[in-house]
Amino acid sequence: MRSEAAPATAYDDMPYTRGGTVDRTEVGALVQSAVDGDTAAWKALVEGLSPLVWSVVRAHRLSEADGHEVYQTVWFRFAQHLGRIREPDKAGSWLASTARNECLKVIKSLRRLTPTDDPQLLDRVSEDRTPEQSVLDSEEAAAQSERVRHLWQEFEALGERCRQLLRVLISSPPPSYQEVSAALGIAVGSIGPMRQRCLRRLRARLDARGAL
Amino acid sequence: MDDNDGVLDDAFDDEEFDHGSLEEELRQAAAILDPVPAELRQIAIEAYALHDLDARIAELTFDSLVDAIPVRGAVDVPRMLTFHSGGLTVDVEVTTHGLMGQLLPPQPASIEVLDGPRAGAALTADDMGRFTSDAPPAGPFALRLRTDGEVVVTEWLRA
Repeated sequence: MRSEAAPATAYDDMPYTRGGTVDRTEVGALVQSAVDGDTAAWKALVEGLSPLVWSVVRAHRLSEADGHEVYQTVWFRFAQHLGRIREPDKAGSWLASTARNECLKVIKSLRRLTPTDDPQLLDRVSEDRTPEQSVLDSEEAAAQSERVRHLWQEFEALGERCRQLLRVLISSPPPSYQEVSAALGIAVGSIGPMRQRCLRRLRARLDARGAL
Repeated sequence: MDDNDGVLDDAFDDEEFDHGSLEEELRQAAAILDPVPAELRQIAIEAYALHDLDARIAELTFDSLVDAIPVRGAVDVPRMLTFHSGGLTVDVEVTTHGLMGQLLPPQPASIEVLDGPRAGAALTADDMGRFTSDAPPAGPFALRLRTDGEVVVTEWLRA
């Protein structure tokens, strides 16, 4: 997990996306270094772009096993295509769109096996507790952990479109709108208004709950 | 995304609230409650070993999961895959019982079934270009084929 203070991995390529002073050439340069045999550059790519790939998997609500396989497939294919990717500085979009395609294939294969198309089948979320969750558990009294938990509950309870969009937007470091577009198959121009509306809706839910 | 949250119908209403801080708070919550599993990140780091500039990539050009019309009521249909690289075509059929394949034009090859960065199971394509395996690939897989003249690797995909 990256801390906020870590240098931003640059892959914002739209002038109106957030990200401040990120260096937009960094991802392309990291890809080139990795092609040339620089293991550290590859590692930096994984560190910087893994949360984006993971967010796409989570946005599609795959089961844990399917999600893990998709995540691995995406990185295996990225390694395989390294050096052949046409626009190395858009590696984030490449990963996001590959992840989306693999997620859609999983969903399609599940539908094929289950003619009911029961959305519940796609709705299995991992029950595993991360070490961080366990820390939260042990500090039940801490107001901060309550806050985080409430926030997450309300986020999970949002409509499917909003939950999906926000899950990708909140990957860390913040993705560019191009990457979000590649991850979810929505037009770049509609992301801003949707984001506003979804956050407004989340704020309203939190206000109603009196949690924040 | 085709469910109806009606997200796009109020463009005039998008004055900038202090939504950035809410989003940032949510980003921190995601980092705590839904981080990339450490073992997956490690696998991605190790995947660097799969980068091989010498092998040609055989691109996936047909996937029955995407390109074929499902047969109503059919269960356990085989997954048909076709890969192309230059003049070489690799047809693969994956079932719950295993894997069958055909090289075109027909030619012998030694084949490795990869399931990750480490060495995979070895198969042989006979003089007619046919190969079989009793072990169906589970999860991500790729085939590395050594023909007479070259090394070709199929695009990674999830079985």
